[in-house]
This record gives sequence, C-alpha cells and structure tokens, in this order.
Amino acid sequence: MKKLLYILLLVTQVFWGQSAFEKGNDSYKKEKYEEAVAQYEQVLKSGKQSAELYFNLANSYYKMHQVAPAIYNYEKALLLNPDDTDVQTNLKFAQKMTIDEIKVVPKVGFSKMIDDLLDVFHYENWAWLAVGASVLFLLFFIGYYFARITVVKRIFFFGMFVVLLGMFISIAAAIAERDHYKNERPAIVFAEVAPVKSEPKTTASDAFVLHEGTKVFVIESLDNWRKIQLTDDTEGWIEKDAIKELK
Amino acid sequence: MKKYIFLLLLSFQGLLAQVQFDASVSKTSLGINERLRVDFTMNEDGDNFSPPAFEGFRVVGGPNQAVSYSWMNGKKSFNKSFSYFLMPLKKGTLVIKQASIEIEGKIYKTAPIKVTITNAVQEEVNPYNPQQKMGEGIHLVAEISKTNPYINEPITVVYKLYVSNTASVRNWREMASPKYNDFWSQNIDIKKLVVENGKYNGEDYRYVVLRKTVLYPQKAGKLEIEPLSLDIEVDLPTGRRDFFGRMEYASGNKTVSAGAKSISVRSLPEAGKPVDFSGAVGDFDFKVTPSKTTLKSGESLDLVVSVSGKGNLKLFNLPKPVVPSALEMYDPEHKEKVNTPLSGMQGEITDTYTIIPQYKGNYQIKPMVFSYFDWSANAYKTITSKEIMVNVLDGPMPTSGDPQVASAEGKQNVVANDQFQFIKLKTNLTAVAQKDFLGSGFFYSLLLAPFLIIPVIVLAKKKKEAIDGDVAGNKIRQSNKLAKKFLSEANKQLGSKEAFYVAMEKALHNFLKAKLHIETSEMSKENIRELLLSKKAAPDTVQNFIALMDSCEFARYTPASVGTMQQDYDKAVTVISGLEKQINN
Repeated sequence: MKKLLYILLLVTQVFWGQSAFEKGNDSYKKEKYEEAVAQYEQVLKSGKQSAELYFNLANSYYKMHQVAPAIYNYEKALLLNPDDTDVQTNLKFAQKMTIDEIKVVPKVGFSKMIDDLLDVFHYENWAWLAVGASVLFLLFFIGYYFARITVVKRIFFFGMFVVLLGMFISIAAAIAERDHYKNERPAIVFAEVAPVKSEPKTTASDAFVLHEGTKVFVIESLDNWRKIQLTDDTEGWIEKDAIKELK
Repeated sequence: MKKYIFLLLLSFQGLLAQVQFDASVSKTSLGINERLRVDFTMNEDGDNFSPPAFEGFRVVGGPNQAVSYSWMNGKKSFNKSFSYFLMPLKKGTLVIKQASIEIEGKIYKTAPIKVTITNAVQEEVNPYNPQQKMGEGIHLVAEISKTNPYINEPITVVYKLYVSNTASVRNWREMASPKYNDFWSQNIDIKKLVVENGKYNGEDYRYVVLRKTVLYPQKAGKLEIEPLSLDIEVDLPTGRRDFFGRMEYASGNKTVSAGAKSISVRSLPEAGKPVDFSGAVGDFDFKVTPSKTTLKSGESLDLVVSVSGKGNLKLFNLPKPVVPSALEMYDPEHKEKVNTPLSGMQGEITDTYTIIPQYKGNYQIKPMVFSYFDWSANAYKTITSKEIMVNVLDGPMPTSGDPQVASAEGKQNVVANDQFQFIKLKTNLTAVAQKDFLGSGFFYSLLLAPFLIIPVIVLAKKKKEAIDGDVAGNKIRQSNKLAKKFLSEANKQLGSKEAFYVAMEKALHNFLKAKLHIETSEMSKENIRELLLSKKAAPDTVQNFIALMDSCEFARYTPASVGTMQQDYDKAVTVISGLEKQINN
C-alpha cells in the first residue's frame, strides 16, 4: 500500500512538473515572460530539470533582456545537451547583448586533439560505451570458443582483442573526461559591473572590469574571493557574489 | 711702540670713516594724515640695499633712486639716495628701523629714527597744489555675492570704481590682475562702461562697473581673492582759470586697490552622496536620445547624451553609455553651448556617440544615471534615463561569426538557424541530483559481468564434453533414470505402507513388462528368473529382484517402518538399474 502511495506521489510529481512546464510554455506564447519564468523556476525548485526547461527559461530571460540569467540558463542547457543547435544559436544571440567582448584564445596541438576526442561523448556515454565493449567482448569470445571453422575462429580471436582495447580506451576516456568536467568550473558574471582585482582584497587595484553575462572559469577560491580566468587567459580575483557557478 | 700702533689704528679709522650711509626723515613729528619722506643716502656706490620693514607705515611712494656725481676742485664727490614716501597708519611713536647696504664688501647700517605721529592736522590748503587732494573721492570696491558657497557653486565678484562728483578719472591701467587660484573663473566682458549714480558711504557718487567675474570654487576651506589694483590718472581742478575763464585741471596718478577678500568654501555634504557623483553642482536636466531605434546593420545611429540647465556645466564629465558588444561605439563628439551671465553658467553640454550595429537582433542600451548636487535644495538629485532598445533589422547573424562572404552571383544563401529559436514544447524531466553512472557499483558489475560469464561458459562446455565422452556412465545414468521413473509413484507414497508397497509392486511389474515384454499373467517367479537369466542378467541381481518382489508381498501383511520402506526403495533402485545395465534388448 505504501509503495503504491509512493509511486502515486512520484507519478503526480512528474505530471505536476510537466504541467508547470506547459503552463510556462503557454505564458511564453502569450508573451508573459515573467509568468513563464516563475513557472519554469518552480519546476526547477521541485528538483526536476531538463535541457529544454533550461532553454525555455533562458529564452524567457532573453525576452526580458536579462542577459546574465539568460546566458546562465543556456549554458546550463548546453551542459545537459551539448549538441543542441537551437541552444547554441540562441546563446549567441544572448552573448551579443553582453558588454564585454572577450577573445577566445584557441587551443592548439596535441592537447587540443585529445580534448576534442574526449568531448565527443559525455563521460556517462563513455562509461556505457565501455560496458558495450565488454559485452561485445563476451560475444566475440563465445564466437571464438564455439566456432568450428578456423578462419572464423581467428577472426573472432582477433576481434576479441580489438574490443578489449576499445573497452580500456573508453574507460580511460570516461575517467579523463570526468576529471576534466569536474575541474572545469564555468561561471557567469551576474553583477552589472564587477571589478576584477589583482589581489583578493577590496583595497587592491582593479585589474579590469567585467559586466554581466560574461563567462568566466573559476580556478581557485579564497574566502569570499574567486580567482577567475577568462577565455583570453587573463586572470584576476572577483568577489564570490558577483558570479554564479554553473556546476 | 704702543703709541705707534694706536696712531696707525686711528689713521685707518679715519680712512674708513669716509664711507657714509645715513638715513634722514623730512620731519620727526607729523600728523596721521600727513606724509613722511625717508632718504637713505650714501657717498659710495653699494650693493644689496635692503630697506627696513617700515612697521606702522604704508609705503605710498618709492623707492626713488637719485645718483649725483660732482667734481669740485679736482675732488670727486658721489652721492646716491633711496627715498620712500610713508604714510603712518597709527598714532604714537614709531621707529624706522635700520636699513643696510654692502659697500666694498662691508655691510653698513643706518641708525634707527624715532618719529612721533600726532593727531590729524588741518592741512594748509594750497590751491596751487592739487597733488594733496589727489585720491580723494575715488574708491575701488569689490562686491562678492556670497562668502560661504559650496564647492562649485557660482559666486560673482563685481569691481566698481566710485568717483565723486568733484573728481574725474581720465584713464586707468591694471597694475595687478587678481589671480583666482583654486577657482574656475570666467570674466564677463563689459563692452561699454556705463556711468551710473550710486551712494558710497552715504554720499552721492558716480560709479562704473569695471569688471565682473564668475567664480566656481574648486576647493573647500578658506580661499583668498587677491586684490585688484588700478593705477588711475586723475584730473583735479587747480583753481586757476585760463585766459578764457575755463577751469584749469592738473592731472596726476593714483593707485587704488580693492582689498583682499576671503571666502570660506563649504565642501559638499557626504551624506547621501551618490556613488557615481561626478561633481556636477547646479540644477540640471539629463537626457539620452537616440536618433533612431530601428535600423539596418552598417547604418549608424547617433546617441546624444545631454545635460542642460544651470550649474558648473564645463566642470564635470558626462556619463558614458554602456552598449552591448554587438554595437560598435565610437568616441563622442563633445559640444558645449554654455553662456555665462552673472548668475553662473547655463546652457547645454552634449556628447554625441556614433553607434554602428554589427549584427541583427534586439539590443539594449542600459539606462544611464546622472547625479548632481542641487545647492538651492541642499540635496543630491539623480536622474535616470530610460533604457533604449535598438532593433537591428538586417545584417549578419550573431551565429555566423564573421560577416558573411559575398555569395556567388545570382544565388541566395539559405542559412539555417538564423533566427532566434522558439521554445521547446516537449521535455523529459529528470531529477536534478542524479548519481553518476560512471564509478557506480552498477557500472562495475555491468563491466565485469561478461568476464565472469566467460569461465562459466568454459566450464559448462568442458562438463558437456566430459559427459558426452563417458559411455558406461551414461548407461548407468540412463537406467537409473528409468528406475526412478518407474519408482516415482512409490517414492511419492513413501510413508504410508500399503500404498507404498502396492506402488512398488506395480513399478516392478511395469519394469518387467517393459524389459521382458511379458504380460502380468505370465509373471510367475520361475518364469521371470528364466527370462532374466536368458537375457544374461547376473544371477545375484535376479535373486535380489525376486527377493524384492517377495518382500513386497510380505510387507502388505506385516508391519513395516519408514526405515524399511526407504531401504526397500533404495534396493529397488539398485536392482532395477543393475538389471537395466545387464539386460541387452
């Protein structure tokens, strides 16, 4: 009985979340963006998320000309679904509304190749790939073991090692990609104007000034200060409250 | 000997005494309204003359230098004098202190002179000397509008020259122009001097406004306004008349100065000072106006930031607009339309920014904030402009990165994703805090399961091969299986005696039927034995079989425990499987 109740609760919650999402969509269609934001935020508060939800929320913020929350939610959506072209397009629209223009220093060489390779899949997908390879290995082994024709046996035997190698690469890639993911701490500047200091002190001189919506990467933390790096590799300290981390 | 030295000294003294440096005054006792002349004379030329400070006097003339050479009977005499005209400032005994000069490397000093100043004396009016009267009835006055202004609050200084009806001024020359340190100053040009009538100390005077200056104090505290001094050429009647009976005038020079004034400047209050306060003081209106808000990319847009009103317009900077990076903003053109009447600067200053959008889209120019201090209301005021939306209709997409390369002639590029995308209508919500699959127990078990299955497969195959290889074992297993099949009913009845033995007998019969192909009616013990033996069954086994059949019959009528039944059952199994093996069909 209790289980049934839980299931019922779970189901209603999902339905409730869905309905709030749809209500938000309705408000968006009627150009009541503030209502839409409230609905979407409510879904988030109930502990549910999806790339589409973040995308719609970001669109609503964009329509209200709130750059920082818009970019923040587009980036959130991209974290869940990095290949969504709609999100990428709208993110670019939002980025054009920001005040800071920061160059992106392209990475080059071997490390870039590795990074690109790792970025092909999310680390969870790499993990599933490893599991798949492991199952394939079993099938190849069975094929090898029960095959009666020498040529087929050889093929299966060879295939076994190929798949095994693939599995190890997948595991390594999954772990490396996870480390990369965990170490990378992107954040969005929320303060309208945020001075970036050369030292983590309020009295320190301003190294440069950032405006809302700019994406930064947190490298270090100290009390209320975060050491950030921009895409053009400049670094500085910013107050914690001026930015909002994506992860 | 001593005498000679003394004489020598005396003669030297006589030589030295030839240099003379004396001070002399025209009179030692004078009225406070009279003047005094002091001469410092010397008979050798010297350097570094330093006059005394003349405490208690004001120097009204001098120093005048006079040098005279004369040769008399082949003897040269030299005389040089410095003279000063002094005016006493107070009554009593005043001392003119020592003056000093360096002559031929030695310093000479005059003796101090005592002068007694008495009450003003009635001057003998000399109608032929207008000099005495000069300066009477001429006054220079500086009028300051406010002596305790705020920083950047305008104050005005007006210099007026009062001239009495009896005197006339021919011309004047500025001797010292006041320097307004720590002020921003603006002179108001006076194109034509206008003589007006006014009162000075209750008397009728004519006056002329010589100069008007608007000052904006730039520093808090006590500030000095330096005096303005004028050298005035004055005409005074001599009292004589010329041939035609007209009055003769004598002209002379006079210096008049408006005294130094000090004002105390108040700093702006700290309480309620806006963060972005840039020093504007006055009463202003602030506007930000774009020339257009809907345009194509590449077209330009002028954003005019203007402040108009009264106040220190030239003394602060206008706020700068902040635009998105997609709009390219150039440095502003600064324009000032300010005129400065006596009440202070008024007009308008504008910064015109040229903005060229780079990409299609809607862009927001943030509201701008301008704050100033209103000294009449004694408070800070802030004006915030409205935000401006710029709608760029046409142009490259933000997504395409670079402006597009011209496409091939006559062809139109169809670019996908060039619009702001609409929201997504379907979603699949998941819990926010999801555990990672990678690294979980589930992941490891899935990963390792195939490897654990491999040995199982290998073992299974091995076992199957072994089973396939063992022929005898197989037979036993088969017959055992058969026996068990026959005995399965009995096995079920294990426990109730009657039923068990009936089942057992039936099972044995069935077995014989199957093996020997005989009917129940033919089942006598001899018959069975012969048949079994003929089928090459071992006599022992046959014996056991017969015994088992016997015991089944007996058991029906004798009590038997569960233990015996089990024993009989096991025996049956062995016997049947034994027979099964031995008998060849």
